[in-house]
Parts: sequence; structure tokens; C-alpha cells
Amino acid sequence: MTETQNGSEFDQVSVHNFSEKILEQVVHFHVMKLSGGFFLWVGSAPVLSNLAVSMSSKYDSMPLSTLVLGDPSNTAPNSLAQRLAKKTKKQVFVSYSIPMTDSNLGLLVENRIKKELELHPEHF
Amino acid sequence: MKVLHTPGTEHHFKRGLSFTPLLNIKMSSPEPIIRSKQTETEVNGVSTQVICTEFSNYIFIVLTQYGKIGTLVSVTPDSRSNDISTSTISTKVLLGKDEPLTHVCAKNLATFVSQEAGNRPVLLGLALKDFSLEAIKQMKDAIKSCQVW
Repeated sequence: MTETQNGSEFDQVSVHNFSEKILEQVVHFHVMKLSGGFFLWVGSAPVLSNLAVSMSSKYDSMPLSTLVLGDPSNTAPNSLAQRLAKKTKKQVFVSYSIPMTDSNLGLLVENRIKKELELHPEHF
Repeated sequence: MKVLHTPGTEHHFKRGLSFTPLLNIKMSSPEPIIRSKQTETEVNGVSTQVICTEFSNYIFIVLTQYGKIGTLVSVTPDSRSNDISTSTISTKVLLGKDEPLTHVCAKNLATFVSQEAGNRPVLLGLALKDFSLEAIKQMKDAIKSCQVW
């Protein structure tokens, strides 16, 4: 554990990139590991089109989630953030820019994230 | 490529064949499409981290003395003014404490980034202990050292 008494020692923020060809489409992932949480961007083009934040609450079994940037009618970033917050018990920021053409794609993308979480938990 | 002794096409053909599966493996880990740079520095004795990430429509900057994103502020150039000399910047707190000091610091820290990045908006995560002008000055230098735009 790091000494946090004088506030000078925190875990280093680290960045991790990976990508995967899913359903004929290269999907890129960018993770920023933070203290007590992480930021995850998922997309096929380098655009930041939305941002959702989610974290667990002791009053509800489902984590709270809110969209701070982007179109509120797109529920994908919120629900992904919520599920990842539940799984990791961390504060999760998610930006999700995958064209909603195939509903299967979303599922496969999420599975890829879960795989990375299992293989490389140190990056999250 | 230097292929000096090229007797026939057979050799090339074989190379071509063996190259295909290699390419498939590589497809799973190509270059990241978004660039980021980070640095860590001491500002008035406090460890400060800067992480700058480039998106086509945003520059995302995390400036933190807590290792967290903290208060999220969007710093957007005003599209109405075409003249650079009179261009204005507006700030909006997306997450966290919406107080005047946050807006002042965000403008001070991110205006030059937005301008240098061709008037791109900046998404700024601020988790600071020290809001003094001297500290902000040093943090600006740290942001400059992580230029991704």
C-alpha cells in the first residue's frame, strides 16, 4: 500500500491500449487506470462522442450511472459503464462510439472488455 | 526492402503466403488510433500527474494531484466569433463542484490548448489541492510538455 498521509504518494495513472477485429470491424480500446476507478474509451474512429460515469451505491444493487457528455438518447455508454462498475466495484468512466448497426457487436465488444479485465486486471 | 538476388517469383510467392497469417495476427494489435502522453511533476511539493489524449473532436486532459479525474470541465471555443483576436472560450462543469474558481482555472489551463489544437474543445479533468496562480503556471508547463495536438 502506498502512503497517503501527506498526499504525495498515489498510484501512477497508467494508459493501456488494445484493439480487436470484431465482426469485420477493428474496435479500439483505450483504458486509463485511475485511483479507485478507470476511464475506458471504445471506438472504431478516434472520436469522443459521449461520456458516462458510473459507481456503486450502498443503497442500490445496481450502480448509479449518468451521462455527462453526448446524446442522452444513446443508452449504450450508460449501460456499459453501469455493468462495468458492478463487475469491478470501481468508479467507471465510459465513452462508447461504436455504430449501432449490429446488436451482436455490442455484446462481443463487452465480452472483449471482460476478457481484458480477466487477463490484465492491472490495467484497470 | 532490399532483395538483391531475385532469381524467380517462387521465392516472392512463398514470402507472400507466409506473410498473410502474420498480418492477421497483427490485426489484433495495430497502432492505437488515439495518442496520449503523460508526465509526472512536483508542483509546490505536491506530486502532479498530467495525461493528455487526442481525439479528433476533443483534447482530453487529466490534471490530477489525487490520481483521479475529479471535476470534469468542458472548455469550448465560441464558434460565433471568426476573428481569433476576439474569440472567447466558454466553460461548463460536467461533473463535480461548479464553482467560479473551477471555471477560472479551467480557462487558464486549457485555452491555449484549444487554440493550438485548431479551436478544438478540451475536456479537462481537474483534481487539485493547490489552485494558486504559481501552481497553475507550473501545471500549464506540464500540459505543454504532453502536447498531443
